Amino acid sequence: MATIPLSIAKYIRSMWMAEMIITYLRIDKHGNLVDWGGYPQHYGLTNLATGKPVTEQVGFLEGLLSVPHTQVLQFVRVANGRCAHVHIMPLDNGTYVLMLDATAEHDRQQKMQQQLNELSILTYRQSQWLQELETTRQQLAEEKRLLNEVSELKSRFIATLSHELRSSLTSIVGYTELLDEAKQADVREANYLSSVKNNANHLLSLIDNVLDQAKLEAGQIVLQPSSCDVKQLIADLKPLFFPTAQEKGLAFETDIQPKMPARVILDEWRFRQVLINLITNALNFTEQGFVRITLGWQAGRLEFSVADSGPGISEQAQPKIFAPFHRESTTHALPGAGLGLAISHHIVNLMGGELTVESSLGQGSIFGGFVEASLAQPTASTDENVSTATEAKAKILIVDDNADIRNLMEIYLEDGGYAAITAGDGAEAIILALQTEPDLVLMDMQMPVTSGYEAVQQLRSDNFTKPIIALSASTLAQDKSYALEVGCDHYLVKPVSPEELLNTIEQILLKQHLA
Amino acid sequence: MATLQKKICMIGDFSVGKTSLVARFVRQAFSEKYMTTVGVKIDTKLVKAQDGREVKLILWDIAGNDALTTATTSYLRGAAGFLLVADGTRRPTFDSALNLQKAITAQIGNKPFVVLLNKADLSDQWEIDESLIEEKKQQGWKILSTSAKTGMNVEETFIDLATQMLEA
Repeated sequence: MATIPLSIAKYIRSMWMAEMIITYLRIDKHGNLVDWGGYPQHYGLTNLATGKPVTEQVGFLEGLLSVPHTQVLQFVRVANGRCAHVHIMPLDNGTYVLMLDATAEHDRQQKMQQQLNELSILTYRQSQWLQELETTRQQLAEEKRLLNEVSELKSRFIATLSHELRSSLTSIVGYTELLDEAKQADVREANYLSSVKNNANHLLSLIDNVLDQAKLEAGQIVLQPSSCDVKQLIADLKPLFFPTAQEKGLAFETDIQPKMPARVILDEWRFRQVLINLITNALNFTEQGFVRITLGWQAGRLEFSVADSGPGISEQAQPKIFAPFHRESTTHALPGAGLGLAISHHIVNLMGGELTVESSLGQGSIFGGFVEASLAQPTASTDENVSTATEAKAKILIVDDNADIRNLMEIYLEDGGYAAITAGDGAEAIILALQTEPDLVLMDMQMPVTSGYEAVQQLRSDNFTKPIIALSASTLAQDKSYALEVGCDHYLVKPVSPEELLNTIEQILLKQHLA
Repeated sequence: MATLQKKICMIGDFSVGKTSLVARFVRQAFSEKYMTTVGVKIDTKLVKAQDGREVKLILWDIAGNDALTTATTSYLRGAAGFLLVADGTRRPTFDSALNLQKAITAQIGNKPFVVLLNKADLSDQWEIDESLIEEKKQQGWKILSTSAKTGMNVEETFIDLATQMLEA
């Protein structure tokens, strides 16, 4: 390899020296500046004076002189923004300081370091946020758990309250009806009885509404669609409202469009509840004229409306009409807690439909909308078999810890032609059922000591195969599911009318007879 | 008579505000923009210590790091005292400051120092545990909350350290 000519080497050296912008300071052993060279002004070192302490002239050398061996301070940035690598070398009689420019290298390194540091801070902040998010998530999960607990407690409280109220109302309504039938009441006595009955029914309706509202708010209402004869539904509703309409001198009209299918699939009980709420409202508010129910079918939609010739609702009031506990009437006291329309609106939404109001003051109101429904397959009637099956008397075991209800059920059943035996708790029911082999058991589910659930479970594990009807004051869906799960064949909610009770028993016995 | 000169090193993790504290102290300036320091930046300021003596402080603002490197160690030579700076909104920087204190003392011996919990203006994001601060204060440490942004405790800190160095 050829050597570089001396002239070229000198040229390279001069280039390198220029690039380095070298400055040197020679300092004696007392710390005084002996001489200097290069470009000290490049580093802001001006007015250097030999023979004077160097640290007074070059501040950053404070404490750095008298080194035992060469020290290198990298990237020392001095006042005027220039950056140098500072070499401090010991000499026999002092110190030699060499400054080489590092500004360009410093700027390159700073750019890289800046990015690294910024990234590091971002990563740290991100991890802090993630940690905060996780803490918040855990707090929310805990709050949700507590809320669920509270909600569960609330549901249980409502269920217990409902049970107690319904049990008492079952006796009040049942015995009032029996008294009404048994006694040849004069007009005044008939009015008293009627008043007791109406108020008990009103209380019952209030309880139902409050419970429904609570369940809707908690998202606990689950629709149970089944095959429904809409024409029959309206036929069943008519007698409920006709007497009130007649009493007020109102025309009570129903209009079912001819193309209405024979049966459709929907939650009949809930749809019925909506119609009852709307019709009750219409009758409450209308003093003269009419109340008209219209039903129509439009491609998977069951359309309905309840129109009245009542006082109507102002435009300002209409947006609030479906809010819970909203009462529009200011003219006179009306029964109810202002929940009927809110519940109906919610139920209709659950059924995939909508409920709206059209009204103006003095022009009456039309509450209407639609629910989603599908066509049902027609089913064969079993009416012919019913009479055959019910000719025979059956023995029924009534189980209830409430003596009043036990007696009431006994009267209902005996009036219906059945033989009744009774038990006051679950344990007694198990013994009686196994000993007397009744054709059917009517079982209260919430009883002290041995509950209906436990009794049914025990009976089923003892191979008791006869039908068991749960008779409960709880309207909670989970209670019904649990009753059916432990072995009940059917679930009735208190208070139950004699007609509903006898019809249910008849159907179940018939089904078993045919099986 | 020549003015006394003392070298002070600013030490701490990156982005805790060492450069900003010096800028506030020397030039009464503050910038929100973060510019990382590479190597060391030298500044000077003449101050009057608490006993009235004038002292020229040579401020070595050393590049942030969570541990003592060879380069940092070389910058520490000749220091008469140091300021350990932590970012009050980043707990790990306080831990770094505690570790650095041990390492520095091992390198240059016992020198006066003050711990600064900087960015006190961001108190809503504060992450430093008060009980730990109390524990260190019980051991005789001087710990101050500062804000280069507002100037809170900045001047006082340097004067305090200058006084400590003169008394040492």
